[in-house]
Amino acid sequence: MRFILVDCIHELDPGKQIVASKTLSAHEELFRDHFPGFPVVPGVLLTEMMAQAAGKCLDADGTHPGRAMLGKINGANFREWVRPDQEIHLYAKITQNRPAYATADCFAEVEGKKVCSAELFFVFAPHDRFAPDHRDPVLEAYWTTHPSQAR
Amino acid sequence: MTQRDAIEWIAKIFETSPDQLTPDTPREGVAAWDSLGVLTLMASLDSDFGIVLSDDDVQGIKTVGDILHVMQRNGKLG
Repeated sequence: MRFILVDCIHELDPGKQIVASKTLSAHEELFRDHFPGFPVVPGVLLTEMMAQAAGKCLDADGTHPGRAMLGKINGANFREWVRPDQEIHLYAKITQNRPAYATADCFAEVEGKKVCSAELFFVFAPHDRFAPDHRDPVLEAYWTTHPSQAR
Repeated sequence: MTQRDAIEWIAKIFETSPDQLTPDTPREGVAAWDSLGVLTLMASLDSDFGIVLSDDDVQGIKTVGDILHVMQRNGKLG
């Protein structure tokens, strides 16, 4: 399983908020163990989905000295089970956005119902730590369809 | 806010007991006062008190007393 936990960005206000989505296929191996006979998306993956969505929002504004990385999970709640093949809508609102750190209030919905939420804290890893030719395919896809917003 | 309240607030930021902190406590004496702890402090001063630290401010904070001084300088400590 690749660790790209955002399929698509639907709305983006760089550095401020984002709406995105992810669907985990029932064929993913992790569901064999989580749990046998009762496959549900792990809470840690839901948290990572929200973090990746918020991270893309931060990376999109281009004001930071590096890429957004999850630094702390200040709190997370998991209210409903999320089943494989369900489309998970991810919402992140950036509540603090500074050069050295950022915070975000995030939640996820399935079929209009809130399934989890988290308060996340981000730090920024210098760009030169990453492969020089690395591009974020999900952000790139969004900018292709929203060229006026592309940096 | 009193100094006692401020030290309790700082203790919460660094996930330690207020009894472990005095104004003379150095950064090295607080386990969670690492690079992430510095950023958490900055974010919390910002969100809780509206204090935005400059790079010089951050460089100058080496003890609990330095944090208290920042809070006092910004009118948050009586």
